[in-house]
Amino acid sequence: MARLVVLGGGVSGHTTATFAAKWLGSQHEVVVVTPNSKWNWIPSNIWVGVGEMTKEEVTFDLAPVYAKAGITYHQAKALSINPEGKEDSDKPFVTIEYTSEDKAGQTETIEYDYLVNATGPKLNFDATPGLGDGNGQMGENTVSVCTADHAVHAAEEFQKAIEKMKAGERQKFLIGTGHGMCTCQGAAFEYIFNIEHELNKAGVRDMAEVKWISNESFLGDFGMGGLHMKVGGYVVSSKLFAESLFAERGVEWLIGAHTSKVEAGKVEYELLDGTKGEEAFDFAMLIPPFAGVGLKAYNKAGEDITGTVFAPNGFMKVDANYNAGAYENWKASDWPRTYQNPTYKNMFAAGIAFAPPHIISKPMSSPNGTPINPTPPRTGMPSGIIGKAVAHSVCDLMTKGEDAKLHEASMAEMGAACVASAGKGVFSGQAAAMTVYPVVPDFEKYPGTGRDTDYTFGEIGLAGHWIKHILHHLFIYKAKLNPGWTLIPE
Amino acid sequence: MIKEIIKYPTPLSVEYATDVRVFNDELFALIEDLKDTINENNLDGLAAFQIGNYYNVIVLKDEKGAFIEMINPRLISYKGRVSTQEATAYYPNQKAEITRYENISVVYQDRDGKDCSLQASGALAVTIQRKIDYTFGATFIHKMSKEEKERFEQRLEYGSDVGNSDYCPTTFKRDKIVLVMNVAMGLMVLGVVAALFIEDSALLHTLWKLLLYGAAGVIGLDIIYFFYAQYEGKKASGCSSCQIGNIIGTVAIVLLKLTVIMLLAYFFVYQ
Repeated sequence: MARLVVLGGGVSGHTTATFAAKWLGSQHEVVVVTPNSKWNWIPSNIWVGVGEMTKEEVTFDLAPVYAKAGITYHQAKALSINPEGKEDSDKPFVTIEYTSEDKAGQTETIEYDYLVNATGPKLNFDATPGLGDGNGQMGENTVSVCTADHAVHAAEEFQKAIEKMKAGERQKFLIGTGHGMCTCQGAAFEYIFNIEHELNKAGVRDMAEVKWISNESFLGDFGMGGLHMKVGGYVVSSKLFAESLFAERGVEWLIGAHTSKVEAGKVEYELLDGTKGEEAFDFAMLIPPFAGVGLKAYNKAGEDITGTVFAPNGFMKVDANYNAGAYENWKASDWPRTYQNPTYKNMFAAGIAFAPPHIISKPMSSPNGTPINPTPPRTGMPSGIIGKAVAHSVCDLMTKGEDAKLHEASMAEMGAACVASAGKGVFSGQAAAMTVYPVVPDFEKYPGTGRDTDYTFGEIGLAGHWIKHILHHLFIYKAKLNPGWTLIPE
Repeated sequence: MIKEIIKYPTPLSVEYATDVRVFNDELFALIEDLKDTINENNLDGLAAFQIGNYYNVIVLKDEKGAFIEMINPRLISYKGRVSTQEATAYYPNQKAEITRYENISVVYQDRDGKDCSLQASGALAVTIQRKIDYTFGATFIHKMSKEEKERFEQRLEYGSDVGNSDYCPTTFKRDKIVLVMNVAMGLMVLGVVAALFIEDSALLHTLWKLLLYGAAGVIGLDIIYFFYAQYEGKKASGCSSCQIGNIIGTVAIVLLKLTVIMLLAYFFVYQ
């Protein structure tokens, strides 16, 4: 019996573990190590963040689901990987520290035959002074919707702001990215429209100023260098699409901005043209930059080999081309296909945990040398697809032997869909539904924009809400491993 | 080389906003073509998109008549708003009132790939904004107020949609066939419901026959729809091959609805 250890129980890790457990049956063991006791459908955190959904509606307990699937579950965070084992044993292992109440702080080692690192990102709040609390957690100046708990807190603060406006006090809302190297603009984009929608619903829109701040060099970049969209039959750029959405709603924007410092009620920023400025706020939701979770790696002798296994940003190195060089040399083929670590072939990284070869948007920096550009988004759909492909590969390696052919899922060959809602109602509000193919532009296959315009399109309308509602229920149903879950695509 | 400027009603391409990645002779030739075309037509600037090139390049003349070359320009910040009468080479002999930012800051690259920035105001700021819009596939019509757009469209011989003709329409004549099938099936459902209140077996027999004719008619229309929809889709060059999925889906849904109706009819109407 061989053992697969999956680090992380988010979209990617959960997909890998559950499919592997199904395909391997009781022949082999699947172990999940995740610090969280609950699974979270992150896209719906946006609705939690405006008080339209509860935390309970977007999360569920992992333990019973893993018990049902026959997966060994440790509520713990991974500290380090020893891919060569230790002095007296060649068996590789991970060291974990429990986070569950009963065993909090206890450490343990778990040996593995295969390892999938799907630890997701560390929310690197401390990268921007004042955005974090100095101890790696979110600071007190802003809110976030990155986790369900953050979103609950955001909703409480939002409610307070609404009460103030009802009492006659004007409020300024600043939504966007909290650093020059952030990703997830789409989440902030959706949140600002939900905020605006809720302000209208509460009858206080005229008391509020709503402003967008982001590291994109143009509105609608979304970390993907923008996209062409067929909207109602017309082909428009995501820039025009986003600008018209903002203009229609009276939302001002500040782009090409690196948020350099956050204080109570004020952010300092630097723009791509080198100018610096300040923006006041009463309520700010700023997405933090992402980094690897800080896993360490040691060789057989106990020497630190973190730099061999992980990229400097903390994400795990996989079969990507990390020596692509300058922007003009970037190719679709730089992007990983199997997500296998090049040094230790029994290790894989899936979802946000793998180190991308480079960004997708045009790299830009200010005259002062500050890089200000979005980092690559890896939303639920690619994360799920990658997780499933990695599960396939690992299962084949375990059942067919080390020469089994690995399964591939390149982000330069897969599409992604995203639904950005403005409100949650069944009969009111609007949502923008977008699909993009491929996620990473392939300039050789599609000269010009690098994308297939036939399969890259957007639509705005009420139906987008229904899609988002359907996705919410469908994916939670799937993640709970209810009957027929394997039939639901990633 | 002087190039032909794309003018209304020739549609603008759907390919646009491609950042320049390689700074080579091809780019330099494009810049020279833009300059020659600007001089020949006595213009204040041109986006590469206007001479049929999808690269993100614009060339402008400043207040003194000197050329400014902007590669991969981005409008980073703005202040104030100003409304002016604008003209653009795409819509010859037309003017329209457009509201733009009064002062702007733009970052771009020069022909050596060096990062540059420019603060502009007044007429130059307006021209830069209009040209950047072109690089993202928009004409100034996208920046008009609703009222101004309506006025402007009335002055255009072929309306404004022509600028976007290379797309797949969202409404088709074939949709009328679906409507007829749905109405027919709606009537059939009414027939089945009515049968619950009818006891006369002769009448029920007639009703069953009518339902059979209706079903045959719907199947016939569904077949016609299947072939006509494909013919109609092929006529519009902008339609993708994924249409076939929609067509098959529509045909299947009709057949599914019909099957359900006829099953119910078999139990409640057939004697």
